[in-house]
Amino acid sequence: MDMERDHYEDVAFFTSRLGVFWFVILASGLLLFPFIASNYLKTYYIYVANCIAVNVIAAIGLNLLVGCTGQISLGHAGFFAAGAYATAALTGKLGAPFLPALLIAASLSALLGFLLGLPALRLEGPYLSIATLGFGLTITQIIGKIQYLGARQGLHAPDLVIGPFNLNSDAEKYYLFAAMAFAACLFARNLMKTRVGRAFIAIRDSDVAASTMGVNLMIYKTLAFAVSAFFAGLAGGLYAFVLGYIQPDTFNLLMSIMFLAMIVVGGLGSISGAVAGAVLLTWLDLTLRNVLDVPVLGDWLKSLSQSYFSITGVSNIQYIVFGSIMVLIMLFEPLGLHGIWLRTRQYWKARSDRGRRG
Amino acid sequence: MRTHILLASFALFFLIACMGFPAFAEEGVTDTEIHIGQWGPQTGPAAAWGSVARGTGVLFEMINEKGGIHGRKIIYHTFNDAYNPAQTLAGVKQLQESVGIFAWVGGVGTAPGMAVKDYLMERKVPWISPASGSMHWIDPPQKYLFATYPLYKMEAKALCRYSVEILGKNRIAIAYQNDDYGANGLKGAKEELAKHGLTLVAQVPVDTGEGDLRPHAAKLKQSDADTVLLWVAPKHAIALLGAAKAMKYDPQWMSTSTCSDYPYLYDISKGLWEGVITTFFGDGPDSFGPLMREYKAAYDKFAAPGERWGTFFTAGFGFAEPLVEALHRCGRDLSRERLVEELEKLQYFRGVMGRISFAPFDPDDPMCRQGQTEVFIAKCVEDGDMVQLTDWLKID
Repeated sequence: MDMERDHYEDVAFFTSRLGVFWFVILASGLLLFPFIASNYLKTYYIYVANCIAVNVIAAIGLNLLVGCTGQISLGHAGFFAAGAYATAALTGKLGAPFLPALLIAASLSALLGFLLGLPALRLEGPYLSIATLGFGLTITQIIGKIQYLGARQGLHAPDLVIGPFNLNSDAEKYYLFAAMAFAACLFARNLMKTRVGRAFIAIRDSDVAASTMGVNLMIYKTLAFAVSAFFAGLAGGLYAFVLGYIQPDTFNLLMSIMFLAMIVVGGLGSISGAVAGAVLLTWLDLTLRNVLDVPVLGDWLKSLSQSYFSITGVSNIQYIVFGSIMVLIMLFEPLGLHGIWLRTRQYWKARSDRGRRG
Repeated sequence: MRTHILLASFALFFLIACMGFPAFAEEGVTDTEIHIGQWGPQTGPAAAWGSVARGTGVLFEMINEKGGIHGRKIIYHTFNDAYNPAQTLAGVKQLQESVGIFAWVGGVGTAPGMAVKDYLMERKVPWISPASGSMHWIDPPQKYLFATYPLYKMEAKALCRYSVEILGKNRIAIAYQNDDYGANGLKGAKEELAKHGLTLVAQVPVDTGEGDLRPHAAKLKQSDADTVLLWVAPKHAIALLGAAKAMKYDPQWMSTSTCSDYPYLYDISKGLWEGVITTFFGDGPDSFGPLMREYKAAYDKFAAPGERWGTFFTAGFGFAEPLVEALHRCGRDLSRERLVEELEKLQYFRGVMGRISFAPFDPDDPMCRQGQTEVFIAKCVEDGDMVQLTDWLKID
């Protein structure tokens, strides 16, 4: 959007003082959130925030693959599951400390991503979706057979202990999760400003052109899968501790599709879009069941469901509203939430420019 | 004069202190209300079990219509978790922290329940009758968690005993789902047959996602079993019956309470279900007990149009019965500790389920929190009707 004169300007974290101002506001908001939530709202919202942080990490990772590199994955729940199980097993069964366990689990997930990236070299579009879909479904079947991982009975995650700290409450976990999500954003942002990130974008725009210019498709495509899977594994490892208990059936196709929906609704190829999509969809997923408590709309929906829907109509409404919101966003803003942001920014910029000229 | 002021200020302070701390009240209980919660999948893969939570709701409406329990109405909070543990935990936390639920009842599914177990137990919130037969609920036993769903192991023992002792069969095979449910059935069958000096002639695992069950049916036929236990989901049980019929293989099929909704199974299997023997842990919806008739009347009055009077629906009544009974026994003076005490005192309590007994909490004895240990055996006959074959059998 803006003209940049040298590389450092491109990689600089803040481009204006206004940016610093908003960052300070955001950071203090995130830091104070647990206090606000436990004093004025309910601690339930901290749990929701933790779920959001987990999904933000997974969505950023998926966006690196889908939005930035132009590959597709319908199997991210598989990487997520691998990360969750590996972290829970390493800490719970082998007594490994949490952070190393999480990193090992995410690396394991990255290895799986690399392996899945190999067939991806020869597959595109719908064929790649089917291959990744197969992976996602297979991995939960395999976990379901491994007695060591609790098979279909599921696996307990132990207490979350880092050094001398025992992170028992949601608020304590929140700081860890929020920091992780922040680090993930930062990492993804920086990655996209390096040679690797530019190679990803070149592959997305045209892999033939990219390889002509010397981008090694084999390395960068598999790397994109590995990095993306690393994020998913990291998110999965945290998810195991949000719930405290994991079971293969939890990591189903619907979960992979939700991840994909997050980045599409948020805006493909943009980090803030992935964050916005993850925040919005997780929030809707966890709180739309209260849609009937909304003052006027709730009563109207209730009478609608009683007169036209089946006995489970009231519960279906939650999903009808969920779907409608997604459809409306895509219909009116194909670039997703990120598109809305871009247009708003453009509007204010144009206004201030006009003001300066006039 | 000074002492007077001192005394007066003491009195005032005392008065204020008393106002600040009204008589001790339990979370989720007021003078006129008791708040009870339940989750259940109304949408998603397990939506068929959503009727459990709706059944419980009708029971509570029936109780409220009669004036509630010792002058308190039951306020029932239920939500749809779509069988997604993250949503179960979200809903439970929200209700617990905003409304303040006195006790939870039922709740379909092992994974959703396991996601909230620790949360509820840490807060000492009683939870009665998780609606799935898992060892997780009672092993290790929890002071505030009371399981009533009979263990799948017991059902397998009951069926094996019946087929060996009454039907005189000796070649018994099992097709079992590759999970908690199937594994417990397998274990129970092995243990019981060992007592009779027998072993299983075939053990055929079935994966939850399996589509084609002909190879499984062929394996069973090869073993030449005269009795086959079906520790699988209803759709797989029917697929196996169909595949075996095509192979002209016709053993005595036996299955669990999970597959005991005869009219439904008879209907979707196009009559194949006739002759199948299953266990039951509660009276059938069409049994003629006075209690079941009372429930049927409540169903006619309160249930949503289109609601089916089936076993899952009546199970929703049954799961809540021990809670309701204990609430009655508590009287006006209601607290969670009192409720736990009264639940522990339940001995051979009989509603529409088998008799339920608990015992004082003993961390070393899982059975102190397993309420029901009896089942009965019945057979599906023409039109999906049920013929009871045995009385209640106590299995240990």
